Amino acid sequence: MGEKSYRVSVAKDLEDLIPVFMKNRHKELDTLRVALASADFEQLRQVGHRMKGVGNSYGFEHVSDLGKHIEEGARSGDRAALEARIAEYGEYLAKVQVVYE
Amino acid sequence: MNKPVRAKRPAEAPAVPRAVVVEDDADMAGFLAILLKNEGLDVDVLGDGTLALKEMLAAPPDLVLLDVMLPGVSGFEICERLKADPATALIPVVLVTALEDHESRVRGIEAGADDFLSKPVKREELIARVKTLRRLHETRRELEARRLAAEIQRKETIRKAFSRYISPRLAERIIEDLGTDGAPFKGEPERARVVALFADLRGFTAIVESIEVRTVVGMLNEYFSVLTDAAYQHDGAIFNMAGDSLLVGFNVPFPQPDAAVRAWHTAQDMASRFTPISRSWRERHGVETGLGIGICSGEAIIGNIGSPHYMSHTVIGDTINTAARLVQIAQAGELLISAAAFEPLRGVVPATRVEARGQVTLRGKSESISVYSIRL
Repeated sequence: MGEKSYRVSVAKDLEDLIPVFMKNRHKELDTLRVALASADFEQLRQVGHRMKGVGNSYGFEHVSDLGKHIEEGARSGDRAALEARIAEYGEYLAKVQVVYE
Repeated sequence: MNKPVRAKRPAEAPAVPRAVVVEDDADMAGFLAILLKNEGLDVDVLGDGTLALKEMLAAPPDLVLLDVMLPGVSGFEICERLKADPATALIPVVLVTALEDHESRVRGIEAGADDFLSKPVKREELIARVKTLRRLHETRRELEARRLAAEIQRKETIRKAFSRYISPRLAERIIEDLGTDGAPFKGEPERARVVALFADLRGFTAIVESIEVRTVVGMLNEYFSVLTDAAYQHDGAIFNMAGDSLLVGFNVPFPQPDAAVRAWHTAQDMASRFTPISRSWRERHGVETGLGIGICSGEAIIGNIGSPHYMSHTVIGDTINTAARLVQIAQAGELLISAAAFEPLRGVVPATRVEARGQVTLRGKSESISVYSIRL
């Protein structure tokens, strides 16, 4: 993922919601890590499904993409793929920059 | 997110459409709420299915955005319940589902959902759907209002037509029955406590014998007109009008705890309204007339009596027979009333007008009853 893709354009009217949105994403990341450690694939699937729905609604396309892959990985029980996606999610959340338009 | 997040609504503000977002994911709910607010709607957010259903049935909104998987009652069940209730059936319900979740869409169609929105939610799509549904909702409401207006008009026409022949209270009951299944008086006969009042014209035989038919009919119409006016003024239900007698029931078909007092006031009104008519008849036709009244209280059977071709909704039983017997022996300007019916009137009727007749054996009755005479 290049530097540019960490920039996310969010509609101005959603600005007030973004701090809570980001906080929830970090909580979500923690949940994913715990679920992976305990091989709780149902929890991983559910969180992935939610990420898929909520991410792009706010303009965070990459959150939706990662959610889709996590949901699929959880369904197939692909632990290695899940580990990679969750790590990618962590890196993304650490670097993402929000621009309001 | 179990407590409803209420949109702020100043009390004096004009009514604006209200949407309810039922979504347990706070981020998605917040996003949907912002977009709806931008469209000029008041928005309430609810995260629990059971609570949301209760709230919406109690205070129906104008639009519902509904997630499928919810704590408590599911989105499908909420949709089904809203569509099954006439008060909420017309509210547009949008199910918010995952794009590829075709199973949920089929289930949603079965539940009666008006539209679907895919997650991730596209802003333009949501706005377009909301606009369309609001227009559709307005049109539906307008059609429903027209249908209701036509229904009210129809019932009013029936009421007016029936009221020429039967008591307005009975007409109301017929119309109520029509509203449920279109078959009036389908109910079984019932036993109820009634106060029955019979009014009878004294001197009617002389009228029939000495006055030409057309004039007699006019006189009877005049007589019944003032009697029915008096009965209706005190919410009596007229059950029968035959010859020169009129049967009025109280405490039927609707409960009247003060039924005896109403019957007494009706008798008084009948007498005072008839007095000038009687005077006029004496002057015009040279006939002496007066009004006799009999009142009795007790149990009676109320129901449809007759044949499939001709039916009468009336009251029958010993109470009615006794009232009929009392009116037969009442003099002009006299009310004969059974002791049971008189009891609630103690202190209401001036004592100077009351005379205890003691035990009276009425025609066709084996046992005597205690009767009071009241001067009208």
